[in-house]
Amino acid sequence: MNGRFSCLLACVAAFCACEEKKEIVVTETRRATTRDDAPKLFATSDERFRDARPAPVKAETPDGWLALPASQFRLLNYRFGESGMGETWVSISAGSVLENVNRWLRQFGAAPIDQDGLEKLRRVPIAGHNGTWVEAAGEYASGMGAAPKPGFALAGVVASINGSILTVKMVGPKSEVEAAKATLESFAKSLQMAD
Amino acid sequence: MENPSQPTPGATPRSLAGRIFDILSGFGLATILLLLLGLLTWFATLEQVESGLYPTLNKYFHWKSVFLIPELKGKLVPLPLPGGYWVGVVLLVNLTLGGVIRIRKGWKQAGNLISHLGIIFILVAGGVAHHFSERGNMAIREGQNRDAAEDYFEHVVEVAEIQNGAAGSIHVIRGKDLSDLSAGNSRLFRLPNLPFDLEIGGYLKNASPVAVTERAPDRGELIADGYYLMPRPDEKNAEANTAGCYARIVRRDGSKSEPVILAGASFHPFSVKHGGRLFTIDMRKRLWPMPFTVRLDEFTAQFHPGTMKPAKFISRITRIENGGEAKVTIQMNEPMRYEGLTFFQASYGPPGAAPGQKMYSVFEVVKNPADRWPEYGLYVAAFGMLVTFLTKLGSHLAGSPRKNRHV
Repeated sequence: MNGRFSCLLACVAAFCACEEKKEIVVTETRRATTRDDAPKLFATSDERFRDARPAPVKAETPDGWLALPASQFRLLNYRFGESGMGETWVSISAGSVLENVNRWLRQFGAAPIDQDGLEKLRRVPIAGHNGTWVEAAGEYASGMGAAPKPGFALAGVVASINGSILTVKMVGPKSEVEAAKATLESFAKSLQMAD
Repeated sequence: MENPSQPTPGATPRSLAGRIFDILSGFGLATILLLLLGLLTWFATLEQVESGLYPTLNKYFHWKSVFLIPELKGKLVPLPLPGGYWVGVVLLVNLTLGGVIRIRKGWKQAGNLISHLGIIFILVAGGVAHHFSERGNMAIREGQNRDAAEDYFEHVVEVAEIQNGAAGSIHVIRGKDLSDLSAGNSRLFRLPNLPFDLEIGGYLKNASPVAVTERAPDRGELIADGYYLMPRPDEKNAEANTAGCYARIVRRDGSKSEPVILAGASFHPFSVKHGGRLFTIDMRKRLWPMPFTVRLDEFTAQFHPGTMKPAKFISRITRIENGGEAKVTIQMNEPMRYEGLTFFQASYGPPGAAPGQKMYSVFEVVKNPADRWPEYGLYVAAFGMLVTFLTKLGSHLAGSPRKNRHV
């Protein structure tokens, strides 16, 4: 009898051990370390998940554009157009103005230009300086592993400002880019470099 | 040669226990086990190329892995194998029974006995390391102080009260209590010393917080403050996984807060004020406080000419403890051993640092009670082999007859 009772008790104990714990009392603690120094308090979700810092460039969002969270390579980030595929973003890039222009042209399969070709491109105001206006159209291959997008167009501005390359790039369906060019030009002009 | 499985005529037949003893202590079993270890090591070496080191080690050598089927280039190899841990256990039993208990005793066998004891010690060291060792890493910049190592894999949830801008004692919810809280499961974590508890659920082993404005959730994911957790496939290098979960603050009156995302991929903790007190809640890799502080004074990396193949990495550190300082150099194959911890030079950064750029050094920090046991075991085994060799040599030189060929 005792044996059976022990067996039953063991089965109950095993069943209880297998049951998922709905509550746990937390008893483990650790001391603060150098890794816990000066925690950033009341960080927003953008700051928590993107380490969002104030962008070195500021702008007002144009009417009809949707401001998106900044990312590592997009200081300012927007969507535009009815298709939802139009994108505009502001970046600080590496390289020279010519290298950036040619990188953009290559994304549309266009032939690269040389310094003479660059000087023939239209100049537009951007953040209180002059920048180079770039346009391209065709199949857009961003080179980021995304599938090529036919029927796309690009408009943008590249400028060298205080030793940095500031770019404003608009990519989207050709008709939507054509319609938004004037807005883009005004947007580039309105940009302000932060102190 | 004596063969225990063939009883001599007229002798009493071996009992079942005796036959089991014979099998467990036999050369045949030892040979099979060593072959299995070789096979396991070979398959694991091939499989880790595609599956990653950590999952492969777990599959082949974790104690929970009793049987396994190798997988090469995405295809199962139809060869079920026993788990490496258990092969080691049986080998330990085999060596103990055959190499210590069953072995003929005498001066001529002393060397063999010593060698077997050395190998047994190495196997025991492996078991102790498997069950009781801890591993983490410490990344530290030149001029920076660090007093905590970070676990490679375990994500924990921490709750800290902030007073005067600094964290006090930090409550830790361990990964083993979180990892089963996948979709639909939640658990209440009672925090008796704090004015609230935490309800945690929706745990994902590898996930990124994604803004809904960037990508709309397509699987009905829970949205918290404009973000949701997007599951990601397991990383090949398991240490690159960043876990995530959802938490609700459960007040003492039973009311609950809106859900909050806790993610290993977050840069800052979530802050909450409660009853005039300030708390942070965060998910991160488990931190492991050290009994001393390490300051990296200088890091130098030398490469073989014209290559990125490392020739030498040297970290000159100051170990700070109880107001005293000690200068120590840690470099490849020359770790720092102190207070039961071993600091190995593991890596460095940033890659391609320009001359004059401040660098950081990464140490692997290991707490292993059996740290040097394999080394000692090797010495014992080598000594035993030397004794065997000298015994044989002595017998040969003395011209003694070779009566006993078997052990």
